Amino acid sequence: MWTYVIRRIVAMIPTLFGVTVVSFCIMQLAPGDPLMIQAGSAGGAGESTQTREAFLVQKRDLKLDKPLVINLNYYRDFASPMKSAAYFEARSIDQVREDVAVLAKAADAESIARLAFLRSLKIPDFDSSLTNPDKHGALARKIQTWVQIFCEDTGAHGVPATIALLDATEGDLHQKIGAIRCLSRMVVAPFVFTYSSHPSEAETPKVVSAWKEWWRKNEKKFPPLDEDRRQALERKFTPLTTELDRSTLFTRLEEAGFDREDMPFLAGKLLSSGSLPERFVAAVTMKLLVAQPLRMDVPIDARPEAVADVAENWKVHYESNSTEYHPSGLTRAVRVLTDTQYAHMVVRLATFNFGRSALTTREPVSERIWAAVKVSAPLMLLSQALIYLIAVPLGVVCAVRRGRPADYAISLVLFMLYSMPSFIVGMLCLMALCYGKPFKWFPMLGLHSEGAAGMTWGTWLVDYGWHSILPVICLALFNLAGLAMYSRSSMLDVLGQDYIRTARAKGVREFHVIFKHALRNGLIPIITLFSSFLPAMLGGSVLVEYLFGIPGMGRLSFYSIEQKDFPTLMALIYIDAIVVMLSILLSDLLYVVVDPRISFSATGEG
Amino acid sequence: MGKDETYWDIVWKQFRNNRFAYGAVWSLAPIVALAVFAPLICSNQPLVFSDGTQRLFPWFRALFNQEQAVDYLFNMALVGFPVWLPAVLWQNRRWAKRGMSGGRRLWFASLQYVALTLTLCALFSISALRPQNLHASRTFTEEEVASQGSSRGTYVPVPFGPTEQDLGTVFKGPMFRKPESEWRKSNDGFPHLLGTDNAGRDILTRIVYGTRISITVGLVSVGIYLSIGCIVGALAGYFGGRLDLLISRVIEVVLLFPSFFLILTLVALIGPSIYIIMIVIGITGWPSIARLIRGEVLKQRSADYVSAARALGFGHTRIIFRHILPNSLSPALVAAPFGIANAITTEASLSLLGFGVRPPAPSWGSVLRLASENYQYWWLLVFPAIGIFFTVTIFNLIGSGLRDAMDPRLRSMR
Repeated sequence: MWTYVIRRIVAMIPTLFGVTVVSFCIMQLAPGDPLMIQAGSAGGAGESTQTREAFLVQKRDLKLDKPLVINLNYYRDFASPMKSAAYFEARSIDQVREDVAVLAKAADAESIARLAFLRSLKIPDFDSSLTNPDKHGALARKIQTWVQIFCEDTGAHGVPATIALLDATEGDLHQKIGAIRCLSRMVVAPFVFTYSSHPSEAETPKVVSAWKEWWRKNEKKFPPLDEDRRQALERKFTPLTTELDRSTLFTRLEEAGFDREDMPFLAGKLLSSGSLPERFVAAVTMKLLVAQPLRMDVPIDARPEAVADVAENWKVHYESNSTEYHPSGLTRAVRVLTDTQYAHMVVRLATFNFGRSALTTREPVSERIWAAVKVSAPLMLLSQALIYLIAVPLGVVCAVRRGRPADYAISLVLFMLYSMPSFIVGMLCLMALCYGKPFKWFPMLGLHSEGAAGMTWGTWLVDYGWHSILPVICLALFNLAGLAMYSRSSMLDVLGQDYIRTARAKGVREFHVIFKHALRNGLIPIITLFSSFLPAMLGGSVLVEYLFGIPGMGRLSFYSIEQKDFPTLMALIYIDAIVVMLSILLSDLLYVVVDPRISFSATGEG
Repeated sequence: MGKDETYWDIVWKQFRNNRFAYGAVWSLAPIVALAVFAPLICSNQPLVFSDGTQRLFPWFRALFNQEQAVDYLFNMALVGFPVWLPAVLWQNRRWAKRGMSGGRRLWFASLQYVALTLTLCALFSISALRPQNLHASRTFTEEEVASQGSSRGTYVPVPFGPTEQDLGTVFKGPMFRKPESEWRKSNDGFPHLLGTDNAGRDILTRIVYGTRISITVGLVSVGIYLSIGCIVGALAGYFGGRLDLLISRVIEVVLLFPSFFLILTLVALIGPSIYIIMIVIGITGWPSIARLIRGEVLKQRSADYVSAARALGFGHTRIIFRHILPNSLSPALVAAPFGIANAITTEASLSLLGFGVRPPAPSWGSVLRLASENYQYWWLLVFPAIGIFFTVTIFNLIGSGLRDAMDPRLRSMR
């Protein structure tokens, strides 16, 4: 049996691969760049209400800035496109507008290169707008947008070329400004000044090098501290290093009240070879005191000194991360396939690492789903139990009383239930039994009354039952009718078999004939239906949970669709598919367990 | 059984024996009639209206000038009806004399009707041919009537349009009639039989026109997935090998996703509209059909008549589509009525969730959506619910009748 299970699980791998492909295709429907939509291109479906920042964070989270399946950027030469991008980044909208007029003529070699660059951005209606002077204003706006998106999407691949630009054109201030602006779009958080919420030793070099750079520049501004002050600070500082919780650490830091004067002490703590907690607390404190330690961006009209300063910062960043920007040949070859949208998504799904929700709360997706599962699972189980407990006996009664009034009556009712969509039953119940037209017996929304947390478990259970009875019935009804009709016909099949006649002829009591001989065999096909109910319920629960205001999986699905919360949506689709797959496996196994005529070797593909 | 009875004749005979299913086929007629004759029942365009200087026929002109493609299609069916009916009655007699079975006659007559409708649609899509509606946005006001004395618009029984708003009659119950002092328009004196909604639109009219959307969604989406499923399933079953493996895997994968959730996601992301709903239901529904057909084709592939066809040198296309497929269709055809019922429910639930038909357009689901926000107005809930229930029941009855009729085990018992 175990070999069979293992074989089935291995056979699931291609199916899972298919699931990721379908999920990936759905992902491609994600709304496009809000900037693109603003600039007047039908970039994405549906209206997007997100802010640009939220979108960028999500885009980078989901690696949507990478190519779809093959990443050739590692072998592309970015020198010329980055030069053009830097040129446009350093110009204001009016200047770009003038440029467009020049570009339309495309006289010299530089404009031709720029034109080729702009064409490669695939701006919609580019050529027609270029020839039409009335559209030059709109085109300039589009160019700015698309250049920005180009930089963001190029990411680290363009950094070496841009740094070279920064070095080469010592005299041209505009080129430098443009290069810096490109860099600040390409690289997210070039310097890391604090540890993540779970600090690890691996982060130390980056944090230390960032602060070292800052300290090298700013050391002169801070006079050295005298010994008394140093000791006082030491007393204040040491107890903080044992604080593990981040939020309490912040409040305690505020109470401790470090100020900018104390910087030499903190820098010493961080830069000397201290322990991890010491470095962590020092980095957090310094970040609190200095909001923006190193400037990495410049405005278009920046002064040469500021530009030189920022350029210096970028060079330091580049040198300290040169291994990252110049990956080895092997790494590059591997990343052609692994550093793509699809590969990243597969890794995320395969490791069940779904990231964070796209909503402003930025909750981890797995937590949201877990909270919803805890609400939905009991309801699902209850309704499944209800289905099997009611439907099978009903089916048996109908089969045994075939052609009698009881059969007709039950079959008629079942058929009507079968034709009654769950949301209509739900709404009728809500109106008739909850809203007060005519009765007000059950609550309208939710699964618990207010103050349910403080109840004793007995009252809590009663309260829960009172809230959940209608949703459970609605979830169950449709499948209940289907299962009852199915078990009726399955029982009828069995009752017509020869061995039933033999049993009767033997003088076995009718009760035994039905429950021992017939029902056991009649149940076999019913068990397989288990796997087909689950997808129906997962989908159907969207409506029922929406109507009854239950914060379960269904409502979570609905809201993540409505609010375009892609990380959550992806995870839900994926989890649903896996649950269904496992339930199919389970029902196949049950089939073999229940029916001794079927052996594991014979079931093969299932 | 007669000697030249075909398989379908036998099925029809079996089907007729099932009283419920046979009744359901005839109960389908009023629903289709409701959809086709909707403008004859409900329309805010007067049949005849005299504004003092001239006599106008806005209703007739409005038939040809509908913004919604679905409305246009059904209006063309309405226009074609008077042509089709006498022709079919005459033809029916001839067919009956030739001994054609009732089911076959019904089937051919329906096919002719669809063909006629589509022809008319194509014909009147040429704008020069159709009578222009100059009065589409006109309100036929009482003042005009008053000043002219005797003349007054002649309306169809329910003189309200599906999207016609009236902020004076918001959320009124069934049988509400405006008090005479508030009459402004020519159609104000008529009662709202099933009440009104949040914008004063007549619920009866919206339900009648909603029938059109439901029926179209049901038929078109099932048509789409039946065709895809049949072709894909037949190819997989016939050619076998790697193609079969690939297609079976795809079927398996798509079936893993809970269908309603998948449809909801796709419709919401692509952009809600009735056409998108039809297409999405169509492209998510095919795997189950393909699976059925594949199994059936696998059985038929080794039959003698296939070997005979191959020996005659027929091409694969001919063998698949002319010989094997017609013999393997029955499981897919049984699934079709259930599929239609399912599609109607799906459309209603999508509209209920707000991802369905665009708001002013009438649909059962969008009325239900209003009801889900205002439970105190019971008529918003009860009437569309009855509509959905009735339609779904009919299609389910037809489906189960068809299943029984095609089941050879049940046949031998009779």
